[in-house]
Amino acid sequence: MKAEYANVFIRSAVHVFQKELGIRLTRESVNRKNSPIPSLPVSIVLGITGSVRGQVVYSMDRSFGEDIAHVMVPNKLPSELKKLVNSAVGEIANMVTGQASIELAGQDRVIHLTPPAVFTGTDLAVDFLEVPTICLRLLSEMGVLEINIGLEELGGNG
Amino acid sequence: MKTGLVVDDAAIMRMRLREILEPKYKVVGEAGDGDEALRLFKKLEPDFITLDISMPGTNGMQALEQLRADHPGARVVIVSAVGQKRLVIEALQMGAADFVIKPFEADRVLEAIERLFCVEGAAK
Repeated sequence: MKAEYANVFIRSAVHVFQKELGIRLTRESVNRKNSPIPSLPVSIVLGITGSVRGQVVYSMDRSFGEDIAHVMVPNKLPSELKKLVNSAVGEIANMVTGQASIELAGQDRVIHLTPPAVFTGTDLAVDFLEVPTICLRLLSEMGVLEINIGLEELGGNG
Repeated sequence: MKTGLVVDDAAIMRMRLREILEPKYKVVGEAGDGDEALRLFKKLEPDFITLDISMPGTNGMQALEQLRADHPGARVVIVSAVGQKRLVIEALQMGAADFVIKPFEADRVLEAIERLFCVEGAAK
């Protein structure tokens, strides 16, 4: 696992949260672990294949997800908004990963992303990879965003 | 009024794109994956389509290839977070008119759609 992946994802998350949501993120911590298992109640899993492969798993509290949905579609009633939380957090995770993939792919490589899968609760029926992982915790005034980056780089152009 | 089909697997993005487009265009349908997009395009015959790439089942690149094969005149704008250089070039070579990278400004989307019809008008 390349340590610079952490900086790529921090830049991407800061850019997307600022541009899409007007939310300022700051770095709280960067740690290493053995798997991208998330620690907060709402999780968004994206698989990555191509010249870089693995999983990126985002997690946050439900209230942060609700705040994100509210910022993305401010005119919805609370009852309508609740139905859009998973869609909102999945799309934000997709944007951050997509933005990071632009930098990771560079000029001539292609990195494929799976659509985001959103899970709630801590007892997740998900097969997380056993892969060296960087765990980022980013802070905002609305809550903590955790990004678990479990990626391996392959040779060639993928 | 020109008609459009909005394709994105995220309901919230379909909603946002509809809100951006509807003052000027009529959104006649929404699809959440490539297969539904192809079916609705054939049924509704919209003047343009906005197409996400990363979607379950038939993804946007596969849908673009099929769409251009079935409807060579289809006006397609890709709206995707996956704006990698090779993918952007590939999409434009396959016939997409523009590639809008998420997160986007509303004006960027409108500009891409307006240009579809300006080019057509200038050619006449």
